[in-house]
Amino acid sequence: MSMEAALQTYFTEAREMLEDMEAQLLEIEHQDADALPETLNAIFRAAHTVKGSASLFGLDGIVDFTHVVENLLDRMRDGDVGVSPELVSLLLRCQDHIATLVDETEADGEVSEDSRILSRALIVELGAYLDEGAGSASDTSGLPAAGKEVEQAHDYPEDENDDTVDNDCWHISLRFGRNSFRDGMDPISFLRFLENIGTVRHILILDDWLPDLADYDPEDCYLGFEIRFMSSATKKEIEDVFEFIREDSDIHILAPYSRLSDYIDLIESMSEESDRRIGEILIECGALTEAELAKALALQAAAEEADQSRRLGEIVAQDDDRLTPVVDAAAQKQTQMRDAINRKQKSLRVDADKLDHLINLVGELVTAGAGTFLQAQILGNAELIESMSKLNDLLEEMRDASLKLRMVAIGATFSKFQRVVRDMAADLDKEVDLAITGADTELDKSVVEKIGDPLMHLVRNAVDHGLESSAEREAAGKPLTGTISLNAYHDSGNIVIEVGDDGRGLDPDKILAKAREKGLVGEDQQLSRAEIFDLILRPGFSTAEQVSNISGRGVGMDVVRRNVIEMRGRTEIDSAPGEGTTIRIILPLTLAIIDGFVVGVGKAAFVVPLDVVQECVEFSEVDQTERDGQTYINLRGNVLPLVNIRHRFGVQGERPKRRSVVVVKAEGQSVGLVVDRLMGEFQTVIKPLGPVFTGLSGISGSTIMGSGEVALILDVQGLVQQITRGERTAANH
Amino acid sequence: MEKTVMIVDDSASLRQLVVLALKDSGYRVVEACDGVDGLSKLDAGRVHLIISDVNMPNMDGLTFLKEVKKRPDTRFTPVIMLTTESAADKKDEGRAAGAKAWVVKPFQPQQMLAAVNKLIQ
Repeated sequence: MSMEAALQTYFTEAREMLEDMEAQLLEIEHQDADALPETLNAIFRAAHTVKGSASLFGLDGIVDFTHVVENLLDRMRDGDVGVSPELVSLLLRCQDHIATLVDETEADGEVSEDSRILSRALIVELGAYLDEGAGSASDTSGLPAAGKEVEQAHDYPEDENDDTVDNDCWHISLRFGRNSFRDGMDPISFLRFLENIGTVRHILILDDWLPDLADYDPEDCYLGFEIRFMSSATKKEIEDVFEFIREDSDIHILAPYSRLSDYIDLIESMSEESDRRIGEILIECGALTEAELAKALALQAAAEEADQSRRLGEIVAQDDDRLTPVVDAAAQKQTQMRDAINRKQKSLRVDADKLDHLINLVGELVTAGAGTFLQAQILGNAELIESMSKLNDLLEEMRDASLKLRMVAIGATFSKFQRVVRDMAADLDKEVDLAITGADTELDKSVVEKIGDPLMHLVRNAVDHGLESSAEREAAGKPLTGTISLNAYHDSGNIVIEVGDDGRGLDPDKILAKAREKGLVGEDQQLSRAEIFDLILRPGFSTAEQVSNISGRGVGMDVVRRNVIEMRGRTEIDSAPGEGTTIRIILPLTLAIIDGFVVGVGKAAFVVPLDVVQECVEFSEVDQTERDGQTYINLRGNVLPLVNIRHRFGVQGERPKRRSVVVVKAEGQSVGLVVDRLMGEFQTVIKPLGPVFTGLSGISGSTIMGSGEVALILDVQGLVQQITRGERTAANH
Repeated sequence: MEKTVMIVDDSASLRQLVVLALKDSGYRVVEACDGVDGLSKLDAGRVHLIISDVNMPNMDGLTFLKEVKKRPDTRFTPVIMLTTESAADKKDEGRAAGAKAWVVKPFQPQQMLAAVNKLIQ
């Protein structure tokens, strides 16, 4: 393990913390007052950890910004700053921004200039809330001398590291030159100008240099100022304010959150005054706390003494081991409750690649086991067969168990939509609730990764088109707030994910009319209700009268269908006018294994996914008719187009006398696959084809058979599409 | 004999840094992600020193510290509290509950090592 590995851990951890923070922020608006303190604490903790760990790695870009956010959260936690929707929105933006800072730091090692600018802008916005908590009005106009003292909410007492000072203001030390008046300068005009680029928080006028009256020269300027200045301006901009007096005057500008050592430098550079004096001024002005000053002076002394060496982390040793005060029963009960939660969440983090490697190996092992079993059968040794079959049982159990390792709860994917729904509802001026059920439902990680996009389209579509506007809802006598529901559950080896809304529902007549208009459905073609609903997922179909920038271009829903089919899943749509729509995505539990039906052609073997196989019938060439290069047979009165696998894939070898047709159904269309041999069911681990073969049509993957031979997995959807397309082209000629 | 140090913190990267700081000096480091985890891992074997964060989910550092001080087998195990928490009352509370030392984040690895060395010898 190295520093780099630790840093990598930090980035992963920071992202998790931020996701958690987002989820909790979204929670705030929906929960009752009782739960609020715990939620605020969780949000604070997330920001706190992101900042705290970033500081360990010296990631200043993240630390500086997150620190301000953390300050505000701390004040919210203490009840000094009230929760409001505007504040939650601001915090969400801050959370997004921190995520950007983390990403940039990981990619480039530092934060981009754009992000720095955004950091400053957000800090100014955050500052407004921090002020509110401190009970200070924003009215700081008028004479600078009347500037207000703002209490520092936080200080870092007694830590002995070279810490940043917890001061979100610029600190400006100004000593006007003796000749300023003679040069035609008006000191107060500079201070007034400062107000144009920020807010003067506190100002201290120093009259230390005023001589006795006898020596006083009214044309001399004896003034000095210490200013606490809240601004998002850059140091350069502040320096420019004093451009005309820079040469003759003594000006020091310290950035917000400057390091203690910078203050020490400041104290040292103010040579005309005693250290103690300038220190006191800084405290009076609110730039430093007493503790910070004490520390600074101590550090200064230590540095002089011990050649810049800084003392180690503070250790407060204690003389006796006093025993703990009794924890009261309520606290104990709380702990027990948390124990229970914790047991539930006890988990081990494993790199996904390692897991995939393990699952691959186990897959190979199962295959090798099957091969060995085959050999044992050939040898005919009963004892060997017996022990091999025991071994195979164990191997299969092991494979099932290892596949379970990759199962993750869908909850995390679902909760991402809280934000999407919230933002969209605000954009569209609708009131929308998101109801999540079945968040614990587990599915394969690879499925979770691929389901995000389709779900996004469905949710967006449901909010945008599914739900009516508030006015329409009111007219229809429905509750003003619409509900989007996300649900997941297991159903006989499949996982079902539902996206529902209680909106206007689908109108079958309108959809059919539109489909006819677009030429997706023939004029005289009769469709079932389910088939009509299914049309909305077709490419180029959109019934929305007005295409908004959120959805309605008929692109998204097509993506849904395609992605789901790629995952060997299917979609179902239920809808009732006025009551809402539910779109169901039905997926296999894992993408790594399929139940296959193995067929042989020549010497080659092909796997047909079992769930598309309808039946197998005897093939006789006599019954076959041909039209436009496509062959058909009559299957109990229905026309069944055929795909001759031998021709389609150019398989060599003698054609056997008896052949079979495997009837498969995909996309509502039945097709017969002509093969030489039927070899039975076979549970098989899918191996993706190499990148060279990605463009291959009709093949979706490969697998290794028990005998060690490679079998290709047929892409039945693809084959069926080719046929339907071929028919359409033929019909057009 | 190899001494065992337990680090209890919800930040995995911080734990890794502590491990980095201590393992080269011959300490064995046990990691725990919060108070509850820490207590269960204390059952698993002897620990010579505990470093614990204050603000953690499930069971915070002070509750954890109090639990540690309640157990007969860990009553005298020195505990270093680790936090950026500036509030003085937390610090006093920690001291009252039996924390031996207090290290402020961010810290340098050598600082942590020095603190551990000082308390464990």
